[in-house]
Amino acid sequence: MAVMKFLCDTKRCIECNGCVTACKNENDSALEWGIQRRRVVTINDGEPGETSISVACMHCTDAPCQAVCPADCFYRTDDGIVLHNKDTCIGCGYCLYACPFGAPQFPKKGAFGSRGKMDKCTFCAGGPEKNFSEAEREKYGANRIAEGKLPMCAEMCSTKSLLAGDAEIVSNIYRERVAARGNPGAIWGYTPKVGA
Amino acid sequence: MKLTSLRSLFASLVLPLVILMGLGLSTSALAADGQNSQQIANAKTSDADLWRAVKAGDSGYTVAQGSEAGVLINVVGNEGKNIKNEYLTPAMGVAVLGVFSAFLIFYFVNGPSKLTKGFSGKMVLRWSKADLIIHWVLAISCLGLIFTGINIMLGKHILQPYVGEGVWAALIYGSKTIHDYVGPLFIVSWILCVVKWMPLQTLKMYDLKWFLVVGGYINFGPFKGKHPDSGFANAGEKMWFWTLAIFGLFISVSGIMLVLPGLDLPREASMAALLIHGLSAIIIIAFTIVHIWMATVLSEGGMECMKSGYCDENWAVQHHNLWYDEIKENGTLEYKD
Repeated sequence: MAVMKFLCDTKRCIECNGCVTACKNENDSALEWGIQRRRVVTINDGEPGETSISVACMHCTDAPCQAVCPADCFYRTDDGIVLHNKDTCIGCGYCLYACPFGAPQFPKKGAFGSRGKMDKCTFCAGGPEKNFSEAEREKYGANRIAEGKLPMCAEMCSTKSLLAGDAEIVSNIYRERVAARGNPGAIWGYTPKVGA
Repeated sequence: MKLTSLRSLFASLVLPLVILMGLGLSTSALAADGQNSQQIANAKTSDADLWRAVKAGDSGYTVAQGSEAGVLINVVGNEGKNIKNEYLTPAMGVAVLGVFSAFLIFYFVNGPSKLTKGFSGKMVLRWSKADLIIHWVLAISCLGLIFTGINIMLGKHILQPYVGEGVWAALIYGSKTIHDYVGPLFIVSWILCVVKWMPLQTLKMYDLKWFLVVGGYINFGPFKGKHPDSGFANAGEKMWFWTLAIFGLFISVSGIMLVLPGLDLPREASMAALLIHGLSAIIIIAFTIVHIWMATVLSEGGMECMKSGYCDENWAVQHHNLWYDEIKENGTLEYKD
């Protein structure tokens, strides 16, 4: 049994937004206007130490959205992926308040711009509907996990910055990278190679 | 200085050190300027500091639209969720079950407050038609909000495990929809009630004495048979009025903040509104249960006031003696034909 996680290698992310586009394209059937499940945020933009991070649902082990939801529409799959049932979702927005990563998205619908059904990253694992069914495609988008594939965003990442998969494998890849390139500037802001 | 002993050696070495340390502390801010620019740049680019800033909620640049899209991590909402799940949800359960059963036990142990002289049959005008309408619109909208709100707060613990998935989905969606649309009705009738009835609800000195004998509702022990002074509203009713006035305001404002996503509030404000809404609901629900118990079974002849607007003369004398004396004196006492 796996525990699926995303990891964005910030030393590699070049803010191309390819992951955002790949996600939009792959899950197009489920995404209403104005909804994007993934975003890229750049810290220290244009300054020394500029760092970009791609972020979507983190599929938390102890997910705040799941704990706060009054309709109890969330569930965790055997792979540790946090999914939700749009038929049970009431569009109250509590998950959006509770989520530290701003993952839940709401289409504006109905009178007074009230919230429609929540949408978020599914780790390309569809939803509670039957695998590959029309209903699943329309409500949740792709189900690449059932096909034995990983999420489209990570698969399409041009610099292999965004990693997705079983936490152990992902962290092993990252650990190898860190060991190979070193981690300059981590200790007292001192960079051994430059000597500054 | 001639060092004659160990003590003077100590004094000559340690005392200047202590003084220097004091100076050093006060000038440490200036010392930071002494760092070269490269050191500062390195400090800014260190991974640990970057992640510390991200974790603290620093905002960056993003092409994504929507409020707070540039914020990577905001933990405030999650902390609010912990407060909600650990304190508010159990408190709501205790408020509903606890207050209801406390009054149920009180009813069986103590019994209702009877009219000592029985019914006179003469009915005195107490509430106008407008008052009755305001009361019942407020009451029905409030009950609608209470039942749907309890389902939204506790339903997943007490109802969902026992019903099917489809039934639960319909119930919770129905609760949310009714809650959203009954809210405005509650707000309007709440404003009317607070504005129209506030002059009758000012606190007086005799209200304190009312509390000392628990309103005269205890049918045993030293409080038995007491009838404390009371004006148009007794001290308990005044407490209920002011609770509803204050927490009604909180619940209305926070409700508007929650129901209109177009306001684009930051997560901190939304989560604060959610917690205030829940807390106010707990207090109002607890008082509503008390109010319904008092009106329906614990005060004989009390319910009649809100059915016809008239109360029995003996009821008025026993429960609201100052008000009865006043209207009798100034001639505003009106009997039902």
